Amino acid sequence: MAIATTNKSEIYLNIGTLPSFAELEDELMYQLSNLSSYPPGTLVRIDIGEQRLTSKQVREVEDMLLDHGFYLQDLMSNGPPESEGDKEADEHPFDHMPYYNDTVMICRHLRSGQKLFSEGNVVILGDVNPGAEVIAGGNILVMGSLRGLVHAGAFGDETAVVSAYRMNPTQLRIANHITRPPDGENVDVSIPEVARIRTDKVVIEKLKL
Amino acid sequence: MENKNKDGQVIVVTSGKGGVGKTTTVANVASALAKMGHRVVVIDLDIGLKKLDLILGLENRVIYDIIQVIEGECTLKQALVKDKRFPELYMLPAAQTRNKEDITPEQVVALCAQLRPDFDYIFIDCPAGIEQGFRNAIAAADQALVVTNPEVSAVRDADRIIGMLESAAFTDIKLVVNRLRNEMVRQGDMLSVDDLLEHLCIDLVGIVPEDKGILVSTNKGEPVVLNERSQAAIAFNNIARRLSGEDIEFLSFDDESFWRRLTRGLFSSR
Repeated sequence: MAIATTNKSEIYLNIGTLPSFAELEDELMYQLSNLSSYPPGTLVRIDIGEQRLTSKQVREVEDMLLDHGFYLQDLMSNGPPESEGDKEADEHPFDHMPYYNDTVMICRHLRSGQKLFSEGNVVILGDVNPGAEVIAGGNILVMGSLRGLVHAGAFGDETAVVSAYRMNPTQLRIANHITRPPDGENVDVSIPEVARIRTDKVVIEKLKL
Repeated sequence: MENKNKDGQVIVVTSGKGGVGKTTTVANVASALAKMGHRVVVIDLDIGLKKLDLILGLENRVIYDIIQVIEGECTLKQALVKDKRFPELYMLPAAQTRNKEDITPEQVVALCAQLRPDFDYIFIDCPAGIEQGFRNAIAAADQALVVTNPEVSAVRDADRIIGMLESAAFTDIKLVVNRLRNEMVRQGDMLSVDDLLEHLCIDLVGIVPEDKGILVSTNKGEPVVLNERSQAAIAFNNIARRLSGEDIEFLSFDDESFWRRLTRGLFSSR
């Protein structure tokens, strides 16, 4: 039922509407095995009919093509258009987290007057109490209550993130942005949160894992 | 404790912030332990601002002080002041006319080494602050009691002190919450013991309620533990018993207020 039509450097695969992603994978695998004579780097366009894929599934399709040396040119679908909300939800805060080579792990509480500096990431298995300071060139992860001062991306990396099991800092800095909790408001949040810069502002959002 | 009949253990009582009740805690817990029959010595290291002798009511019996012992003017035995109530309690007074810089941590260690064979407990009254006086006080200690009040400034200082004790490789650090006013905690106007423990993350050894009797007994130079009816006295006695290895439940101050709540409930239902 699937048709593979080709011109010189492009393959067009019409897989059609299949009931599940697993079947789509099987079909794609079978089709690709028939196309082994094409040179690496060939672009592939796939028509999947009415079916809708999540961005994670699209990535898996891309990976399957890459295993055969092909690139995904286009994935055509007649399904209902993807809503903006779905797109937002698919994006994970850690997707854009910068990579640093060295990470320091601290397995105790940081107390008032104690200061920790690392050029890379910092992971703290414990609390950061008020009066304590954590300064990192990279990201900061606190697996406890964050109540002190933290500075991620201290050398100017605006993509650095701060995440904490309980986010309640005295002051939170990312790159050259300095923020503090709003005066007078005492919001008691009992979920893990992550802080990062979005459109030039530090935002704190729920940590989704 | 395992060194009951061996060398005594050195316990430093510290807080960072001043005025939270370090000296009162030393005086009362030491008296309570002495009353239980332990051999106890208290060392005042708040040199220049001594007050332990005052609170114990032994000011007029002081002849020599710790500086004179260290400088060799007298022997340690000559300087120790025997308590007038408890035969097992001794005090080594501080000098009022000298400074904390006049002694070194090594000298304190040597002094405690001399005292260890003769006593079960050696309490060190630490001065407020984190300077030389604090370093002297913690040098010889095996165990630390951190005294704090349920207020943010005292908790912040306690946190700093605990951090410094941990850096000095202390493993046995315990918390004493002093001057707790339960009715204020219930109204949400004062930090609760749970708040403090969540913040400081160390073991609790005692909760001492606010008590007017403390002020009276301090002025009179009599430890409050002599007053059987005082809530604070019960709390200090319990701390002493916990230090000597007994497992005692923490005071529930709700007992008294239960009646108050009950009467309030009866009135409101009318």
